[in-house]
Amino acid sequence: MNIRTIRKGKSVKTVAIFSSLLMLPTSFMFTPARAADPIKVGVLTDMTGPFGLVGKSNLAVAQFTINEINKKGGVLGRKLKLVLADGGSDPAIAAQAASRLVNQDKVAVVVGGVASFTRVAVRDVITKRGKTLYIWPASYEGNECSKYVWNTGSAPNQQVDPTVKYLLSQGKKTFFLTGSDYLYPRNILARVRQVVLAGGGSIVGEEYVPLDMTDPSNLVSKVLASKADALFEVVVLPGTAPFIKGVVNGGFKGTIAGTLFDEGINPLIGKEAEGLIGVQDYYGPVTDSFTKTKVAAFNKQHPEAAGLFTSTFNAPAWYRSFYLWKVAVEKAKSFDTAKVDAAMNSASLKSSIGGPVSFSPGTKHVNLTMYLGKGNADGSQTILKNLGMLSPFECAKKQ
Amino acid sequence: MNPTITRGIFDVLSLSSVLILLVIGMAIIVGMMKVFNMCQGELILLGAVTAFLCSKYLGNIWLGIFLAPLIVGIFGFFLERTIIHRFYVNPQAALLATFAIGLIIRETLRTRMNTQGAPVAPPIENYVEIGGTNLPVWRVVIIAVTLVLTLTIAFVLLKTNLGMKVRATLDNPELVSVSGISTKWMYACTYAIGAALSGFAGAMIVPLQTLYPNLGYDNLILMFIAVLVGGLGQFSGPIIGAAIIASTGALLGQFISPVTGQIMVVLFAVVLTRLRPAGILKGGR
Repeated sequence: MNIRTIRKGKSVKTVAIFSSLLMLPTSFMFTPARAADPIKVGVLTDMTGPFGLVGKSNLAVAQFTINEINKKGGVLGRKLKLVLADGGSDPAIAAQAASRLVNQDKVAVVVGGVASFTRVAVRDVITKRGKTLYIWPASYEGNECSKYVWNTGSAPNQQVDPTVKYLLSQGKKTFFLTGSDYLYPRNILARVRQVVLAGGGSIVGEEYVPLDMTDPSNLVSKVLASKADALFEVVVLPGTAPFIKGVVNGGFKGTIAGTLFDEGINPLIGKEAEGLIGVQDYYGPVTDSFTKTKVAAFNKQHPEAAGLFTSTFNAPAWYRSFYLWKVAVEKAKSFDTAKVDAAMNSASLKSSIGGPVSFSPGTKHVNLTMYLGKGNADGSQTILKNLGMLSPFECAKKQ
Repeated sequence: MNPTITRGIFDVLSLSSVLILLVIGMAIIVGMMKVFNMCQGELILLGAVTAFLCSKYLGNIWLGIFLAPLIVGIFGFFLERTIIHRFYVNPQAALLATFAIGLIIRETLRTRMNTQGAPVAPPIENYVEIGGTNLPVWRVVIIAVTLVLTLTIAFVLLKTNLGMKVRATLDNPELVSVSGISTKWMYACTYAIGAALSGFAGAMIVPLQTLYPNLGYDNLILMFIAVLVGGLGQFSGPIIGAAIIASTGALLGQFISPVTGQIMVVLFAVVLTRLRPAGILKGGR
């Protein structure tokens, strides 16, 4: 026996001793939870990286909502415990974080994700391997119909259809469509094209630009040359501001509309944000008493995130996600994934931030109160119209 | 003249001058000193931050444009004396070290900013009507400033005693140091001037965009391509490289989709570096 094998044998023994020590506490961990134990709720968002600011808003809304639910006695008599997982604005990190939530923390539900690439990366980890419910709280490009996944943000038709119909009603006939070159803008603009053509309008240009475009001069020139009545744009940050400034100041006579305009984005654009048209599930001036009270309470309790409660940061969707899940759990009288999943299909809230909300049965998406808004020069919004509750055209109910 | 043609010509001039302005600092640090400076984008970012702070808190962006080269130049000087000078013997390690410096600056700003970006109003917000279309005066100013700055630096480097010392130091440090010139300070000052020029560029171009943490980094690849196309060893190489790359991109962007245009520009750069590996100015292989 040489020195190497002796060492090896010793280390095996040490490992055995250590692992038996480790076994001790783990055996306690598997004792069944008592009824009074808090139930863990997974919050997955990007606290670091490019989406860090969205994460800051998401976490504050999650803390606010969970705190509120706990003050009213929790869910089925159990308090909720927030478990945060940082997705790091990176799908690989997000997948690991999601795995930790379902496998180690054994959360009852995961709410979260900022970008669609995160949703795609964590979806199967949570629902298939983890057998856990996943709520995706973001307005996005649509087509998410997987088992155990529930969408609480707006679907493309809920934002696009009323925006385009408004533009057509204003006598706009020719449309220029442009966006950053990835799935979200392409799906949104596909819907725009469909509604424009159905409404008798025409498309005079469609152009996609690289995500990291820093100088939009070429695109500005193309839009100006088109002389379109309306520009529908989904150019994401950092391209948004220089693009819109260029178009407005270059002498564009038409109306500019998009899906990403609100109090979170418009201040970056500056005074050129005046007149930007869009539809969201919430704007600052939404004044029903429920929304007003809750947003005021949020700003007071979370000064670090005051001003970050916006629709483009998905704040209203995060708020309703926890409550819709609570309603489903109480209807199912259980935290069991399959039972809650069945109850989610018809979960609804009489009041939520932005207005009443309910799952549209069979679509895995929500009927949402939507608002037609117009941007002001100071970055604030004016609500042109409360559009009432709009249904999502998703999953079983495609149109 | 047809407004579309006017805008087309203007876009080529404007996009080229913006990239040249961004590359000037890099032409000195990467092109002449041959330091693969991955934090060049963050030197631009620091200039942009200076302009933003002056415009927001002092209400005077002109002051920011004046201070940016001074502040970033001093920062560059200290950076060279503390970190960069240790890596002249090991360019590969310099790549990593400067990348780390850039990352620290970028992410520090990200955690300090409570917004996804901040608009900076241009010092001159007017538009001029030329050929039936509105052109931003600030872009016209940038075209003029870039032209003057490039010619001035070329003149200093080629025609003055100081320029000769700089070129001699970078070409043959041993010979220069036995001639009684301190190469240590020569290197530090050259790096500082490169940094100052990048800071100035950042302050000038931030009104065209918004201030956001990746402002410099997003331009870095294009800047490196310009330097590689232009070739190392001379100031003028990277400048000509930038002009070729940017004008090709701006021209293509008018006729084909910008995404395809970007791919074509990189392909074009690959072909150019294959045909003239030592740079556009030096023939042969």
